[in-house]
Amino acid sequence: MQRAQISALREGALASVGLLVGIVPWGIVAGVAMVSAGLTQAQAVAMSLLVFAGTAQLAVLPLLIAKAPLWVMIATALVVNLRYVIYSGVLAPHFEHLPRRWRVLLSYVTVDGVFALFAGRYRPDDGNRHKHWYFLGGSLVMWWAWQISSGVGIFAGAMIPWEWSLEFASTLALIGVLIPLLFDRAVAWGALAAGGVALIAARLPLNLGLLAAIVVGVAVGLAVARLGPRNGEGRD
Amino acid sequence: MAAESWLIWALIAGMALIAFLTRAVFILPGSHLRLPPTAERVLRYAPAAAIMAIIVPDLALAHGALSISIENPRLVGGLVAFAIAAATRSILATIVGGMLALTLVRQFAG
Repeated sequence: MQRAQISALREGALASVGLLVGIVPWGIVAGVAMVSAGLTQAQAVAMSLLVFAGTAQLAVLPLLIAKAPLWVMIATALVVNLRYVIYSGVLAPHFEHLPRRWRVLLSYVTVDGVFALFAGRYRPDDGNRHKHWYFLGGSLVMWWAWQISSGVGIFAGAMIPWEWSLEFASTLALIGVLIPLLFDRAVAWGALAAGGVALIAARLPLNLGLLAAIVVGVAVGLAVARLGPRNGEGRD
Repeated sequence: MAAESWLIWALIAGMALIAFLTRAVFILPGSHLRLPPTAERVLRYAPAAAIMAIIVPDLALAHGALSISIENPRLVGGLVAFAIAAATRSILATIVGGMLALTLVRQFAG
């Protein structure tokens, strides 16, 4: 490794240390919640390693407890992860010159916080040849923090009595993730509509209520963005 | 309580595939393709809608029936969590506050 690569790696790692305050409790809760939802410790560790997407993991757990069908859970993971499609589109021009194995690695480790740091710091056409090291440095810090904190939660979770209802912590953590998204007016109205539909349609078979809620929520969000002033759809 | 083992392994495999593909979709082909603005908006509204649609029934339904009452511990815990999240933006405080409210309601309303 050249000196410039090491220095970019280190810069990325240091910048993402500030994100640890958020990811560590989040990882512990995900670990506890996975075990509380009925996963074995091996399954929970496998989920942390292979999926490595906290919001999707926590979103699926209440559905697993409610005995939703497999396809509904996977469809939900897909919807919650759609934000990564946007990130992928923004990151692609930065990484297009890299070898395939680099692009596979960087895809796997992408998380919200590091994406935000990276996108705020680099431009696609800035000609910087070491910026993927910055991304990797930040991502590695987040990856390790996630795996270690999940592991703590997984092994602590097995010792916590069932009556404490710690599976409820995954719903509470989802509330914590949702709130910052709601500062966009169109997103907020869409989410409110989705919550209402989910309640009304809770008795539909096969959890179709959840999917109906998402469709209505997106439609309401689009309608509000179209009707309202342009600043109602500002990027966050 | 515990779901069947094959189901959970299938869930992990499916989610792993989804988590990788949503992140790799533009990075891996190395494409310069840009999303049309409407598609980008749909991709932004859908996750918040899905999360809310998971949260609301978990708080407001008890054994499949609507339960809007101060004696519903999950509803009270969830509303407290919403308030704390809006005020502090701290996930840790949100979880701790919500769990405390849940426990208090169980103690006094149960």
